[in-house]
Amino acid sequence: MPQQQQTQPQPSPTPPKKKKIRVPRVVNGVEQMVEIEVDDVAGPTWGPNDKHTLLNHRLTRVDGPLKVSGAARYTYDVRLPGMLYARVRRCPHAHARLKNFDSSAASKIPGVKAIIQTPLKEFRFAGSPVAAVAAISPEIAHDAIRALVVEYEVLPHVVIAREALKPGSPEVLPRDSRKPDEKNLRLANKTGDVEKVEAALKSSDAIVEAEYSTSRLHHCCLETHGMVVDYSGGDSATIYATTQGTFTIPDDAAKELGLPQSAVTATVQHMGGGFGSKFGIGIEGMLACRLSNETKTPVKLMLTRYDEFVMAGNRSGSWQKFKAGVKKDGTFTALHATQYRLGGVGQGSQAGQPYAVYRVGDSYREVYALQTNEDSSVAMRAPGHPQASFAMESLLDELAYKIGMDPVEFRKKNVRDDFYKHQFDRGAREIGWERRNPTAGGNPGPNKRGMGCAAGTWGGGGNDQCKVDVTVSRDGSVVVAVGTQDLGTGTRTFTRAIVAEELGLGIKDVVEQIGNSKLGSANSSGGSTTAASLSPSVKDAAVKARLAVAEKIAPLFGNAKPEQITFAGGNVSGGGKTITWKQACAALPAAGITAHGVWRSELQSRGVHGVCFAEVEVDVETGKVRPIKMVQVQDGGLPLNRLTMESQINGGMIQALGMALWEGRTIDADLGMQLNPSFVDYKLPGSLEMPEMIPIIDDEDKREVVIGIAEAAIIPAVGAVANAVFNACGVRVRELPITPDKILIGLMSERRSA
Amino acid sequence: MSDDHDQERRKKSSRYDPSRRKFLKGVGVAGAGAALADHLLTGDADKVAAKISTPGDPLSGNVNLVLDLNGQKRNLTVEPRTTLLSAIRDRLEPPVTGPKLVCDMGSCGACTVIMDGKPVYSCLVLAVDAVGKKLTTVEGLGSPENMNGVQRAFVEHDGLMCGFCTPGFVTTISAYLKKNPNPTLDEVREACKGNFCRCGTYPRVFEAALAAAKAGTSG
Amino acid sequence: MNTFEWVSPGTVAEAISALKSAPAASDLDDAARPIAGGQDLLTTMKDYITRPVRVVNLKGIRGLDKIEADGKGGLRIGALVTLAQLEEHAIVRRNFPGLSEAAHSVGTPQIRNLGTVGGNLCQRPRCWYFRLEEVVCLKKGGTECYAATGENKYHAIFGGGPSYIVHPSDLAPMLVALGASVSVVGAEGKRAIPLDKFFTLPSEGNLRRENVLKNDEIITEVQVPASKFAAHSTYLKFKERDSMDFAMSAVAAAVAIGPNKTIREARLVLGGVAPVPWRVTKAEGYLAGKTPSVDVLTHTAKIALEGAEPLAKNKYKVPLTQTLVRRALARVGGVRT
Repeated sequence: MPQQQQTQPQPSPTPPKKKKIRVPRVVNGVEQMVEIEVDDVAGPTWGPNDKHTLLNHRLTRVDGPLKVSGAARYTYDVRLPGMLYARVRRCPHAHARLKNFDSSAASKIPGVKAIIQTPLKEFRFAGSPVAAVAAISPEIAHDAIRALVVEYEVLPHVVIAREALKPGSPEVLPRDSRKPDEKNLRLANKTGDVEKVEAALKSSDAIVEAEYSTSRLHHCCLETHGMVVDYSGGDSATIYATTQGTFTIPDDAAKELGLPQSAVTATVQHMGGGFGSKFGIGIEGMLACRLSNETKTPVKLMLTRYDEFVMAGNRSGSWQKFKAGVKKDGTFTALHATQYRLGGVGQGSQAGQPYAVYRVGDSYREVYALQTNEDSSVAMRAPGHPQASFAMESLLDELAYKIGMDPVEFRKKNVRDDFYKHQFDRGAREIGWERRNPTAGGNPGPNKRGMGCAAGTWGGGGNDQCKVDVTVSRDGSVVVAVGTQDLGTGTRTFTRAIVAEELGLGIKDVVEQIGNSKLGSANSSGGSTTAASLSPSVKDAAVKARLAVAEKIAPLFGNAKPEQITFAGGNVSGGGKTITWKQACAALPAAGITAHGVWRSELQSRGVHGVCFAEVEVDVETGKVRPIKMVQVQDGGLPLNRLTMESQINGGMIQALGMALWEGRTIDADLGMQLNPSFVDYKLPGSLEMPEMIPIIDDEDKREVVIGIAEAAIIPAVGAVANAVFNACGVRVRELPITPDKILIGLMSERRSA
Repeated sequence: MSDDHDQERRKKSSRYDPSRRKFLKGVGVAGAGAALADHLLTGDADKVAAKISTPGDPLSGNVNLVLDLNGQKRNLTVEPRTTLLSAIRDRLEPPVTGPKLVCDMGSCGACTVIMDGKPVYSCLVLAVDAVGKKLTTVEGLGSPENMNGVQRAFVEHDGLMCGFCTPGFVTTISAYLKKNPNPTLDEVREACKGNFCRCGTYPRVFEAALAAAKAGTSG
Repeated sequence: MNTFEWVSPGTVAEAISALKSAPAASDLDDAARPIAGGQDLLTTMKDYITRPVRVVNLKGIRGLDKIEADGKGGLRIGALVTLAQLEEHAIVRRNFPGLSEAAHSVGTPQIRNLGTVGGNLCQRPRCWYFRLEEVVCLKKGGTECYAATGENKYHAIFGGGPSYIVHPSDLAPMLVALGASVSVVGAEGKRAIPLDKFFTLPSEGNLRRENVLKNDEIITEVQVPASKFAAHSTYLKFKERDSMDFAMSAVAAAVAIGPNKTIREARLVLGGVAPVPWRVTKAEGYLAGKTPSVDVLTHTAKIALEGAEPLAKNKYKVPLTQTLVRRALARVGGVRT
């Protein structure tokens, strides 16, 4: 194997020089930039992207065989001796106060072991947890929550965002005493110069004014939220959690159990999807811990699918009003934006709006959180971005049509970063953009094809929280250990691959240990920060392990310097001599060697580019949209694993497709309840909805650094699909999802006005 | 729709009490109080039929039964209301957890098992109703060390991400390839339209299914 | 799901007796229920929409799982025949293509492997208010149909009031078009019911039920007579999501072809638009004797949707259903559109 790393700094008597850098930290899935100090010394490098032996190749998942055979044990699969099953009782009212709680009937049901109330006395959305029960079977636990007698004082509610703006609407949350004028509408920020924008609009050749809205979406993690608390009294506990942050569990769980944090171990070996919704123990975890503490018995509390829809978070909806100007030559001149984040009782997600990919000339923007009696939105894969991108990309399309310019050319003219230009060209080529009819709805027949495109960006940088140990034993076995978690993104696989590549071994020669809070610390998997946080630490540990092994076995090679001993193809060479890895390791001390890796900022970066092109077919006599083909060109520095990276790009496109065409919470204004808390009525795309999909890793990106792309993958496709629908049928649906009824109604009103 | 029309409809549809505040059920009544007589349901189909064919002899409470699961006779105790899915996950010792509980409403496919050769949703089968049937879960198709052709193809083509839907897809497709060993892409899509994935693995699930078929190694 | 007694009789008589002798129920939806494939019943039980004190398993009854020719060109379909069996049956495919298509359009392969013909006809509505455990709507003994003025995108445009559900069965419209009837056995004996008399509108029957079945009655068989329609039959179902969905609208069409490709007679039944399979006889009458052309079919579709009373959010169902009528008729009438 070619050795990229030449030198390792010698320990120096004086502390290393430090430098300050800004990195993303993820709190509850939302990225915040913080300044940290790191060593300012030369560290390892990855070397050219095309010179790797394992990385940047197509590696099958190391946990694949376990997952395809049912052997992978998820939190939901954990069953401990004597374990109790817990269920949650929800408040069905959008706003109510607890009047009376009577558990006497429930507690008499044989098999019911504990009933606890949540601390809430006022419930501000339908689905608020009221109480929880632990019983000897899931069925009996369910009987018990239904046997609880709960009386409420029902209070006025508002669940429709536009209604919440009205003067007479009920107050969702108590007012902030510092801002007594703000009821349900809370100003988040105001930027830009409104007068300059007005002037620029006046001098524009064309103006588009439009409103866009997106529905509340659900993560729909196939494994619902929950945990198994293994506590039977005594002085320690283990929490099996389905979580994106192994280390977000022990602290809060310990508090609930009355144990020191060090006595609580969190573990997550495999998890069935998070998408931003699984950080911390959550209220369900709190209830599970309390039930376990009360019964001194292990408790499993996994939310039901209904629970999951109404109390486990969602992607905030949006309502965005734009007025934009453009010159005939395609120069974007001005943008006036008023944007409402619809996060229920929460604040909603902030996006880089107007969407950051484009230059928009003079801009003015007001952003508000508009609150309703719905459960709070939480982070969901690229919080705020798909919403903003859909609106902005639709607006760009409307502007391009207005001035009669090709939407690709229009975008290329206005992108901030020239790197996008070749991505647009590549995407256009792959989708066959030249086949596109520039006249919207211009193709003959009832089944009309159309194409659209859009672009996206994301950070994806790492932070310094990962501490990795690589241990090489005398029998040649290698273990890389770190407490991080694999959400299905391929973390296990690249962690192994980095170490194997560094030591010149095959991927099966290394074993990874992850998903345990007793291992080296790691960041939460949010904001696409995992790869860029973890891989530098793994690389650092692997390099140190290589040098440590080299140092110990140097006598076998005529006391060659560690850097001169090379590791490749399962062999170790130095001083003109080659022996096998196993032979070399036999010379290690009895305990082997363990190397500790820390984060190296130079091995990662942030900032990715991606474009998506979509082709759809719209049946203008039924309103049905059939996706035909989607192409996404995505960069990401050094691809750690091309196979899993492509899968993530596919996944992003598919989730975006769902958002564009089928998904959305439906809520009844009067009842204040979600009407589609099930997989029957909340429509995820399935096998028949899939277009041909072409995920393209953009190798024009020559950066020799690791950057996360998970969030980037979901952003551009929503706008691309929406624009393709317009190009196909000539109906601009500005309210997601674009369902057949909206297209038919759009066509009807078009005919009426014609 | 004019407001008048809506008023009209509301009247028409709400004959007694238009108050929208009275929509909720009062006290939920738990039905756990039934006599908990134990019953025996053995794996012998004829005996079972004989035992439970008399209307005067209903089963309730805890029922012991035998399931023919992955080629083994497995004893367990369930209630009549226990689903096959819950029975194998929550009642069987040791449990079989390949089939996943995801929607519990027959609308996602993650709990798919093969019953007498056909893929079915085990969340929509009662355990008492699965007695005497030949049941195969994803564990019965292969192990990590000895995967069947579909499982191998899923790994090779990356037909999985988080993996929670994967046992259902593998089971559905394995059963389908037995019925149709040489499917087209459209047939594969049709065969697994009752299985849903959230990570977005579909394109590679299709690839894997076609590759397994091509290799002729469905079983 | 509540607890229940499980009874598995071996004969129809025992099944009826098990239904009749069940412990008294305080509410209609607590009464004993028969189970066949269980693909709908179990979902209603999990949501506590039905809470039967006793569940009577019909699958142990012999002889109800067969599709047989009736000797006169018609079919006798046992109530326990699965949708997969029906869909794949060679005679059904050849002589009753619309019926095979209707069976194929149901749910998913997994559901069709267990779901039965009898169960498909007796399934409960998919209305999302009805399906929410906490909501006691008109159909659950409450006082209001929330869909009337609420979220009614998927609801009825025909025959609504006071409830606005649509009937979810895919077999029902096709079987009504083919003139099928059902054999029903109960404590008071056996009766044959033409399928178009089997389903009841909310305004004319028991609001809490969608058909005339009594609590102690079960369907044992569906008879599809030989007809001049069957060979030219089709079922067009429009789903919002193709992979798995109930009909947003559907059309069962069957025509008897006369000389020179004229349509001698037609049967047109709409699904997904009314609380019952909605036969549109005026459109059928218009079509009789016509040579199908684009204009004729367009006009037929217009007549078929006459009298539709859309709710606030389902106006789209009118043009959608018109399209389906045209396309279904074009398929069976051999017209290129």
